[in-house]
Amino acid sequence: MKSKLKVLTLGWEFPPLLTGGLGIACYGLAKALSKLVDLTVIVPQSNPELPIESFQLIGLNHIPFTREEGMQESLLEHLQYNYEDFATVKKIGIDLNPYPSYQTQVYREISISKNQTLHLEPIVELKASEAYDLFQDKDIYGPNIMRKVAAYTEVVCRLAESIPFDIIHCHDWITFAAGIKLKEKTGKPLVVHIHSLESDRVHPDARNDVYYLEQAGMQMADKVLPVSQFTAENIVQFYGIDPNKIIPVHNGIEPVRKFRSKKENPAEKWVVFLGRVTRQKGPFMILETALKLVKRMPNVKFYVAGLGDQLGHLKYLVEQTGMDKYFVFTGFISKKEVGELLSRADVYFMPSISEPFGLSALEAAQFDVPCVISKQSGVSELMPNALKADYWDTNKFSDLLYAILNFDGISETLVSLTRKDLEKINWDRAANTVFEKVYQEFS
Amino acid sequence: MTSVCFYFQVHQPFRIKPYSFEEIGHNHFYEYDTQNKSIMEKVSNKCYLTTNKLMLELIKKHEGKFRISYSISGVCLEQFELYKPEVIQSFKDLVATGCVEILAETYYHSLSFFYSKREFERQVQKHADKVFTLFGVRPTVFRNTELMFSNEVASYVSNMGYKGIICEGVDRLLQGRTPNFVYQTPAHESIGLLLKNYSLSDDMAFRFSNREWKDFPLTAPKFARWVHSTAGNAETINLFMDYETFGEHQWPETGIFDFLEYLPTEILKHPDFNFKTPSEIIDSYPKRDVYDVPYPTSWADSERDLSAWLENRMQQQALHSVYSLEESVLKTGNADLLHTWGKLQTSDHFYYMSTKFWSDGDVHKYFSPFDSPYDAAIFYMNVLSDFKSTVER
Repeated sequence: MKSKLKVLTLGWEFPPLLTGGLGIACYGLAKALSKLVDLTVIVPQSNPELPIESFQLIGLNHIPFTREEGMQESLLEHLQYNYEDFATVKKIGIDLNPYPSYQTQVYREISISKNQTLHLEPIVELKASEAYDLFQDKDIYGPNIMRKVAAYTEVVCRLAESIPFDIIHCHDWITFAAGIKLKEKTGKPLVVHIHSLESDRVHPDARNDVYYLEQAGMQMADKVLPVSQFTAENIVQFYGIDPNKIIPVHNGIEPVRKFRSKKENPAEKWVVFLGRVTRQKGPFMILETALKLVKRMPNVKFYVAGLGDQLGHLKYLVEQTGMDKYFVFTGFISKKEVGELLSRADVYFMPSISEPFGLSALEAAQFDVPCVISKQSGVSELMPNALKADYWDTNKFSDLLYAILNFDGISETLVSLTRKDLEKINWDRAANTVFEKVYQEFS
Repeated sequence: MTSVCFYFQVHQPFRIKPYSFEEIGHNHFYEYDTQNKSIMEKVSNKCYLTTNKLMLELIKKHEGKFRISYSISGVCLEQFELYKPEVIQSFKDLVATGCVEILAETYYHSLSFFYSKREFERQVQKHADKVFTLFGVRPTVFRNTELMFSNEVASYVSNMGYKGIICEGVDRLLQGRTPNFVYQTPAHESIGLLLKNYSLSDDMAFRFSNREWKDFPLTAPKFARWVHSTAGNAETINLFMDYETFGEHQWPETGIFDFLEYLPTEILKHPDFNFKTPSEIIDSYPKRDVYDVPYPTSWADSERDLSAWLENRMQQQALHSVYSLEESVLKTGNADLLHTWGKLQTSDHFYYMSTKFWSDGDVHKYFSPFDSPYDAAIFYMNVLSDFKSTVER
């Protein structure tokens, strides 16, 4: 019998250090894939509260490091430990702000030439002590994100020398430099997983270092795995990647225990939005839709749960348009509070401008909340029984919300059919696709 | 003798337009008139006018031996009058040959039987009057919307004085018996039941142009051979289908018109075979056995039940809502409102809301003017909200 394939997965966010869908997806996929392959996952920070049995998780924040006065060794010389030690985890990273405002251009440590090849500058000046500190930073993104990427790249490449693997599997641009270097070094096949792109987060026309790193990673990759067909199309359109090596793999979702709760005022109808309040999420579409809807439905309340760089502006506009009595801004809420909110929601509203996947819609659906989502979302491919409109079509959005809130037959049909759709969405299915259509191609 | 009995359904609904909730209360015009007109124009040219012309030629050519029947919904007749009057004339020409029978049905092609018997009777009467006005004949055989049928339907229609009724020949109810005889109801009412031979009907209506089908291509001699093979064990071969089979579902390029042109000749080559209309079948052949249909059936889908119209909650709510307005509508005494209410009962509105095949991505399973069953439900419920407020004002 052939021995199991060995896969080295390079990730960034990982539970419980979550900010968006990336960490949840990376974890869910790893868990399911570990049934099929031998898996080692390297992330900048791990946490001992999450018990991992089926694969090896290495958090770089647990590399033992002794700070010695006057030592000027390079990082590379210092990585002389055996890595069994750092699978155990001591520190919890908290208070994450993963998506630095895209206007800031603070990173120049990695330079990428604008032609087809990626050129990583040698980072000789990066000291072990600095790398160590970077992995301890409670913010795993932050303004020095490119320096963290550089440190991660160096340390991972070094570590990989003592890890047996057949395939490199990278999750999103922050790990791509490491993936590219490893492929160059070892000749092993490179798989890059795309959870979100600069073209989603910033703008389709964004051409910055992150964009070029994404592009270089996808060019260098043997297979590119976007989380949706929607993202696959963006990769072709905005990054010029060969469609023949793109294999969309829809995310799965972990089951939850759902419950319904009563609202204090049952006459109120709650429209709920969960997520970062950033341009990408289409927050102003919420207001535009609300302006149309409340003319016919004064009993509607829009709950906006989340933080983001557009929150202040949205609040300002809500106030200016006299809509404050129809809006509730909860700020950041915990997982438990999310459940409480969804258990009272009448409809979930996700008007994203460009959403590679959109896990929150599935989470709402798990609570039997009918969903109104934009067509510019990957999750819409998995939700035939969500109501959809183009993100700019607030006339249509208001029609869809009105229908769900007024015609029980429509919302009940959406919910009951979505329950069946959810049964088909799980990580095993995603892992099987990755295993059969990607990994096995290399073996 | 064995008779081939052709019955063609001719129907087009008054489709409703994309109607936003913002229009509720001030826009009382619901029809998607531009689309209704263009569809009527298109289907008339592709099917109705072309096929009627061929049918008339065939009837003349065979000197009364080729006989057929139609049921044309009231809402379809109205749209012919509105948008394509020459189709009415072509049907008049056909009826005038004496070889063409027109069947009774609900004027609005509705599910009214299952929601209000009073409304059902009103619609059947309204349709019969319309047929008499246009064609000078009174139907004697009834065909319910999409062949929706049960013992109860048969017995009710029998009491209304109809001598025959058209229904699906459902395998699980025939229990191995052939649909090729006239059947009777379990209560032995006087009405005769004509059961669709779905196998032969679907060969023509659905499989005709299917290149994957083992019997492709279907020719008139081949089909006639299948029909003739029933000799001795059949009295009526009931070939029931949408009239749009000719030229619309099956395009002219498939050869469907050539097939139709040669079929009567081929059938009549066998001395023991002829053509009869439904009422002639009832008059000619005895009822051979009981066909017991305790629960409603139809000719739709493999289930042959009513699930295409009332399976999901939005269909149920829509149907319940429209029929709950009956008293309010009647109380207005307003003929226009009554007519609008009737048009809102047309079964197609609920069919467009079907989610039976939706999750499988089979969006083209049903011909629908809307992008999704949800759009169909949303626009309908918005329209109904406006209609309700109008009626109750």
